Amino acid sequence: MGNLSKAEKKKIPRYDDQTQIEMGLVQFDLAKCNGCSLCVKACPADAIKLQDKKAKLNDHPECMACGDCVAICSEKAVTLVKSYRYSGRYKTIDQGGLELPRL
Amino acid sequence: MVDQEQKLSETKIEQLKSVRTETEDVILKRRSVRVFQKKQVPEFLIKRMLEAGRFAPSAGNSMPWKFVVLRDQEIIDGITQTIIETCKIYKGLIDYRYNGSILRRIIANIIIKSKPNDLHPVPFGAISLIADEKLGLFHNAPTVILIFADERGIGFPTLDCGIAGQNMVLAAHSMGLGTCWIGFPKVAFENTSIWRNRLGIDYPYKFVSSLAVGFPMGKPDGMVARPTHAVDWYEDGMKKTLY
Repeated sequence: MGNLSKAEKKKIPRYDDQTQIEMGLVQFDLAKCNGCSLCVKACPADAIKLQDKKAKLNDHPECMACGDCVAICSEKAVTLVKSYRYSGRYKTIDQGGLELPRL
Repeated sequence: MVDQEQKLSETKIEQLKSVRTETEDVILKRRSVRVFQKKQVPEFLIKRMLEAGRFAPSAGNSMPWKFVVLRDQEIIDGITQTIIETCKIYKGLIDYRYNGSILRRIIANIIIKSKPNDLHPVPFGAISLIADEKLGLFHNAPTVILIFADERGIGFPTLDCGIAGQNMVLAAHSMGLGTCWIGFPKVAFENTSIWRNRLGIDYPYKFVSSLAVGFPMGKPDGMVARPTHAVDWYEDGMKKTLY
């Protein structure tokens, strides 16, 4: 059968349905966030905005779990919570959990 | 003499259990940089990057690449405008999200079937963000390096261009520069001949990708968590799957 079923290979998921295209997710520790907005500028998906001088995810964030926001934050206020999970013909396969670089 | 050498290399390997090499650090800390300082990168640093690209491996040492360095804001802005205009057209045709347009969904799905890599969910979203000018293209980088493949190259010229490009990226980050791979100029070089003509790019060169280069703002490099991947491991007549 392989990694995708025939049905899955045929199905083009709806890109605005979080049950079919699950985007990644980051979390902001608002106590640590100093509103510098570097993460807003670093995000390749334009998924972060500044609201009341604190970082916040947009309404339909297209987060691809790249971690650039986590890395650029000088206050260590950002955490990567989960990676993306696509379905249908773009079904995410062979992916394990989130890990920092391991020795 | 041989015994000493062997002991030294065993110690080195033992040390590697708890310490990374400089090269590994550059690789693992590298993040794509999209926020740059205004100041231009000194010429000699770009030349050093190009050297790292020149010494990349390639099938049959065919070196099927052409690097074009852009430090002319007028050209960079011009290419950016072409990309934005093209994305505006695409957005109108295919972005069906949150607007209930069945026609757009039909057109989108037809194109997705024929170009699944171009209209994967992520670039699909990026096209609209670029059309709305919410996503930078070259992120105000002072230097842009375009990478073209010689399509007559041995094997997979595009692959070799990627390898050369990543050599350049790692060299750059090891020197304190920031880089970001920018693939969208493809629409400026394939959908229209304006830029191929303007920059004199002829057969056999095809656009592959580009690098935005500059001094980063803040400290964008650092280690982050990333999903693991299934790896098939064959040894001693057994197969295991590691993550």
